[in-house]
Amino acid sequence: MSIHPGTAARRKAPDSHTPDNPAKVRRRSPTRVNPALYLFPLPAVAVVAFFLVMPTLQAFQYAITDWNGFSAAFNYVGVDNFVRAFTKDSLFTNALTNNLKFVLLVVIAQTAFSLVLALLLTKNSRGSILLRALFFFPTILSSVSVAFIWKFIYDPNFGLANSVLRTVGVDGGAYLGNDAQALYWVAVTQVWFHSGQMMVVYIAGLQAIPKELYEAAEMDGASKWQQFKSITWPFVAPATSIVVAYTTVQSFKAFDLILGIAGNPPKAALDILSTRIYSTFANSEFGYAAAQSIIFMAMIALVTWLQRRLLRLTPKGD
Amino acid sequence: MSQISRRQAVALLGALGFGAAAAACAGPGGSTKPGGATGPSAPATGAVTGKVSFAHWRGEDKAVFDELIKRFVAQHDGVEIAQDISTSNDYNAQALQKLRGGSIGDAFATFRGSQFKNFTEAGVYTDLKGSKAVGNYQKGLLSAGQSGDNQLGLPYQVVFPMPMANLDLFDKAGAETSPKNWDAFLGMCEKLAASGVIPISWPGGDVGNGGQLFNCMIANNAPVDDMCAQIEQGKLKCTDDWFLKMLGQYKDLKPFVQPNATGTAVEPAQNLFSQGKAAMLATGSYHLAAVRGLGAKFPIDLVFPNTTSDGNGKYEGAYNATFILGVNSASKNQAAAAAWIDFLSEPENAGYYANQTAQHVSVDKVEYTNPDLKRLSPWLQKKTALAARFQFNNLDVRNAVEASATAVISGTSPEQAAAAAQKIVDERL
Repeated sequence: MSIHPGTAARRKAPDSHTPDNPAKVRRRSPTRVNPALYLFPLPAVAVVAFFLVMPTLQAFQYAITDWNGFSAAFNYVGVDNFVRAFTKDSLFTNALTNNLKFVLLVVIAQTAFSLVLALLLTKNSRGSILLRALFFFPTILSSVSVAFIWKFIYDPNFGLANSVLRTVGVDGGAYLGNDAQALYWVAVTQVWFHSGQMMVVYIAGLQAIPKELYEAAEMDGASKWQQFKSITWPFVAPATSIVVAYTTVQSFKAFDLILGIAGNPPKAALDILSTRIYSTFANSEFGYAAAQSIIFMAMIALVTWLQRRLLRLTPKGD
Repeated sequence: MSQISRRQAVALLGALGFGAAAAACAGPGGSTKPGGATGPSAPATGAVTGKVSFAHWRGEDKAVFDELIKRFVAQHDGVEIAQDISTSNDYNAQALQKLRGGSIGDAFATFRGSQFKNFTEAGVYTDLKGSKAVGNYQKGLLSAGQSGDNQLGLPYQVVFPMPMANLDLFDKAGAETSPKNWDAFLGMCEKLAASGVIPISWPGGDVGNGGQLFNCMIANNAPVDDMCAQIEQGKLKCTDDWFLKMLGQYKDLKPFVQPNATGTAVEPAQNLFSQGKAAMLATGSYHLAAVRGLGAKFPIDLVFPNTTSDGNGKYEGAYNATFILGVNSASKNQAAAAAWIDFLSEPENAGYYANQTAQHVSVDKVEYTNPDLKRLSPWLQKKTALAARFQFNNLDVRNAVEASATAVISGTSPEQAAAAAQKIVDERL
């Protein structure tokens, strides 16, 4: 049996209708929804409120306190935690700088690398399918496994990188132990880890481009580069939008990879916002950590929005 | 874009109001302090039955604890003990929140230092003063578990955060294992290097293990025993002469640690030592079992890097009393948890734990049968400094101060490294 909104009301209507008094007829709009139906989304709303809205509001509430995470006593400190983060905490600003640098590196390298892979492996030949599977493979590994694999690769004593380099008489250095280079080495790991996944997104975009466009371009004498610039790139813009946004968020939240590869707490050269927030929580500064989390959230939103605007991946007013 | 109707606006506001009200209910400080206003009390007494959760971070000791649990259960009918093991880092970060709920960690362990302090402030401990267990411990080793007049925890392990030495390589190089002063220590390293081995394997890429050497380096350099607490309070500074001298001595060590030491994690450092490529492992005696597990067959002793110039230092070594056992004040089964702690504190059981895990214990009258523990036992009688790095309550300060030593080994000048560390300290005063 199906229940249509307003059925009961419509059934009642003839009882109150009298030909002598048409003004008394209560007309109901056919689109009017029975208020009882608002109860149906209530469980979903409750779940969202409890697991998303409430923790977010709590974070705002904690962020204006100096609560240590376990005491009954705390003080409201207003915006002091936010001011401290930007003016009196060089560890936080260092983590922010590292994170922005890391995002920039990974977004550029991963987007370019995955696009190149996709362009090379678009055709559905056996070889391409095999190579696609090979490049996609790291994606199915857990980030902790990836961290440990690369920790071994980068080990200066027994690691794979230096072992290979030593065969040609080169010492690769300390890798993660070199503060000036450490972030770049982790960025290499991050790109290796996720490029296969982004390649798949690009391949889907590339395979949707009509072949006739390339045929027409070739007939007009367009070079490969011109074809890429005028056909491929505009048509993969939606895929690029997904890749860039996803890579940005992923790079901001490379928490488990950094912790796995650099240990807990990571040294300053590898500290990013998520690991800094974790360290602040572990240091029993819950109020301050909540403020850092809100800044982190705002930062991801801002960078993602800026990217979309700068790359013109989102039309105005969308 | 469609307009929001009045009804939708009211619904949205209602949802936000609900969220805000719920958030306020669970806001900061909303829960009560388990210890209560009167401070910690003794664990409840009663029948030793039911389930007990034993929370700790030493996964490598699981099998040994399993055997001890078997023995305990054989003595107490109807009791069950489950080990809740986290990694040490996770335990450091999350244990307090978990234990306060009382669902895990009826009995538990803590690190010395900031974790013990936080647990104490949160009222998680019961007071074990006067318990049967306390009487089994060496009096001088109980202080790490005390707060005021209360004995909140029982420091179970005694470890020596000092470089371990491969005695075969020392013999071969003709190097002495007890250098009287800093020059003698450097001379010892030179002899080892001349014999073709790496004098010191140091895991500079691992903050926790790499920082253990700091305990030795600072012990005789600092003007006071609570030097790290005073640095944190701003009474002493990393830019002080004594601290710069210590960093200068770290610089002296640079030619004697393995190449690219700042990028070496703890496992490769252990491997260099256990494979006989390095003569010393600059972590501590707590890695004895690990290096034996990696195949090290040679005799092992400890070496104290004596930083004095005349050999008249206050200390001959460094030790730490840690793995502080306690009974959770939020536990519903305190009687059984306390009985488990009593059981672990009996010399026979503590001895089993010590010999199987190759770690000394604070329990008195323990017979060490493990050859490594036997060889290192004389260190229990020496004048050793309680590991200083655990005086830091703020982990950011600790990491910054220790990172100054790593920076020096990677090539930064002691002055620059000290200034960078002091900046972080100053920001947290």
